[in-house]
Amino acid sequence: MTTEAMPQREHTQDAALPQGIGRLTPGWIVFFAAMAAVTAIGMYAYFLQVTNGLIVTGMRGLGTMLGATWGLYVAYYVYFIGVSFAGITVAALIRIFRITKLEPVARIGELLTVVSLILGALAIMADLEKPWRAVVNLIQYGRPQSPFFGTFTMVIAGYLFASLIYLYVTSRRDAAILAEQPSRFQKLYRILAAGYEDTPSQRIIDRRATFWLALAIIPLLVIAHSTVGFVFGLQVGRPGWFGALQAPGFVVLAGVSGIGNLIMLAAIVRWATNTRDRITVDAFAWLAKLLLGLLITYLYFTVVEVLTVTYQAGEVERTLSDALLTGTYAWIFWGAIVSLISAAVLLIWQAVTRKWSIGLIFAAGALVNVGAVAKRYLIVVPSQTHAQLLPYPTGSYTPNWIEWAVVLGLFALGALMIGVFMKVFPIVPLEEAE
Amino acid sequence: MNTRTIVTTLMVLVGLGLMVVSYVFLATPTCNTSIACSNPVMPFSAGIFVVGILIAFTSAIFYTVYKGSE
Repeated sequence: MTTEAMPQREHTQDAALPQGIGRLTPGWIVFFAAMAAVTAIGMYAYFLQVTNGLIVTGMRGLGTMLGATWGLYVAYYVYFIGVSFAGITVAALIRIFRITKLEPVARIGELLTVVSLILGALAIMADLEKPWRAVVNLIQYGRPQSPFFGTFTMVIAGYLFASLIYLYVTSRRDAAILAEQPSRFQKLYRILAAGYEDTPSQRIIDRRATFWLALAIIPLLVIAHSTVGFVFGLQVGRPGWFGALQAPGFVVLAGVSGIGNLIMLAAIVRWATNTRDRITVDAFAWLAKLLLGLLITYLYFTVVEVLTVTYQAGEVERTLSDALLTGTYAWIFWGAIVSLISAAVLLIWQAVTRKWSIGLIFAAGALVNVGAVAKRYLIVVPSQTHAQLLPYPTGSYTPNWIEWAVVLGLFALGALMIGVFMKVFPIVPLEEAE
Repeated sequence: MNTRTIVTTLMVLVGLGLMVVSYVFLATPTCNTSIACSNPVMPFSAGIFVVGILIAFTSAIFYTVYKGSE
């Protein structure tokens, strides 16, 4: 065989792989190039930040510098970590309660969790002027009194690693199936399959392992998301952050944004991989009901929070709530509320009529994510600019192009990771016939 | 109990043990009388905690990949 003929043969063999694996369509190449370009711009912006320092961003010191030290990066760190919640939760619930209708979206959820955790870790690294120092110092000097100990050990390390293991364990069978047919990824599939044999006893072993993993991951993720809430909620000197509702609020909003993202990603995957017969409207209806329950809980938390700070709050809390409800941040706050309530109305209407539309569920997923991003921003920023206990004037913070470029670069990187995964491995678990 | 169960259980126990020991005894300062007390009792105890997590969860890979009889 000539060397020219080999790629052609590999290409033909790849055509036999399911879900468009290995086939680089013009649409996918355009998507890849666009996302790579945005990622490159983000990396350039980050390079400028690392070489010149955080002074090139819109962030400034608290108090005398009238700024905010935590800005867009921390808001998106919280958002990305929140998104990671739903993927693995849904995947775990599917295994524990054997919700067969949701099985086709399980791997999408697992992948979403892994990718968003990586993006969350990168977002918090972007917030640090010298990130390498943080890595060394957290390992060397981290101590349990600091919520960052939990963020580092539970979220970045434990949660990410557990999710990767879960993704691997649940993917071995598909790797073994794909390893049987010749393709350019055959070696990779063989390595991933690690000698997997699809026997009844192996299936029992897999089911048992994933069940216990799921049981271990669910408390881990509740602790992990609570820990992120504690980073804010335990700061007694920071009105707007200090409060018992922060941790549960973080967990619930994490669920809202995560399931919203899972719905959107599942709809895109369903369209891109032509798996309409696998990812059914029923699966979306399940996710929509789950989203609705969490959304109503979060809206209740919001009402309680607003009532508490407006009923009989101290002076600084009053200044903060005025900034949120009628002042500088009012458009973001009410924008978030309108987004969340609109999503709730969309979902309730479908639940009442019992007619579920993927388009409307997708819209609800997008709306809750707009609301979640805005709420994350409002949790992070206003308490720094409008809630000083010391007699400093009111501050301000506006993210500049460097920060937006880095954040957009992170989104593009996440899209790239998912896009590349879809071209290498089935993102929807294979059926027996495949 | 077969090899699969024994090794998996051991890995989980070692992992959990490392997490508990590093969290309770190594990472937590035991005094509050000087600035030195702000450091953990043993440096890199957070790293040990992470190693504990890695070992505990890697047990799932061993459990599924191990070729011995069930």
